[in-house]
Amino acid sequence: MYEQYKDRAAFYIVYIQEAHASDVWQMSSNVAQHVVFASPKSYQERGEVADACVRNLHLAIPAILDGFDNRTDVAYTGWPDRLYVIDREGRVAYKSKAGPFGFHPREMEESLKRVLSDGHGAEAAVHADDGSRDKR
Amino acid sequence: MRKVVTVLGTLTVLWIGFVALIYAEMRRPPENFGRFIANVPGPLFMALPFETLWSHARGGVIHAGDVAPDFELQTLDKSATVRLSSFRGSKPVVLIFGSYT
Repeated sequence: MYEQYKDRAAFYIVYIQEAHASDVWQMSSNVAQHVVFASPKSYQERGEVADACVRNLHLAIPAILDGFDNRTDVAYTGWPDRLYVIDREGRVAYKSKAGPFGFHPREMEESLKRVLSDGHGAEAAVHADDGSRDKR
Repeated sequence: MRKVVTVLGTLTVLWIGFVALIYAEMRRPPENFGRFIANVPGPLFMALPFETLWSHARGGVIHAGDVAPDFELQTLDKSATVRLSSFRGSKPVVLIFGSYT
């Protein structure tokens, strides 16, 4: 999905506090896959775990690191994982339900497609299938 | 008959209390919640409407249509800073919150 839309939308992984730190709430599935990390004690340490994540999972999407005060995570209630689409006006177009249950990329994609097509002004009015939508 | 009603009534009250406790814990910061839930025995989980409680507890204050809170965060390689509001007027932004574990 990232490859498909990356020229038209900005994608960022917002790397936040760990979901299953070994010293807090270890998951046996993580142990089996050798993903064992104690809770990072500093911004630097969190960065190191994030690096390992991006490297080992071969993630192409750029990642940004939330401050150690977790301010962005708290504002967005991102933990443990969550998807958002922000439209061109800076408004929230899509907010997934809390992960892991609510983490549905396909559902997010529907919103992204709408946001991308809305921004084409007159074109959107011609192609829109929802006649009740206002012209921007 | 009355004994059955009493037992069922007590169990229901206990269950409601347990659900309320779990909900309250779900709203706490992740590390607190993690430590708490790591100590809850597996079978007890099955008695909970976990997903429903979770969706509500972790709902947060942002709603679709709200202005997304701005932030300015460093990229992993520390080469740049990304400010959400810098995309306004140009591109939509997809945010994927998560961690390795």
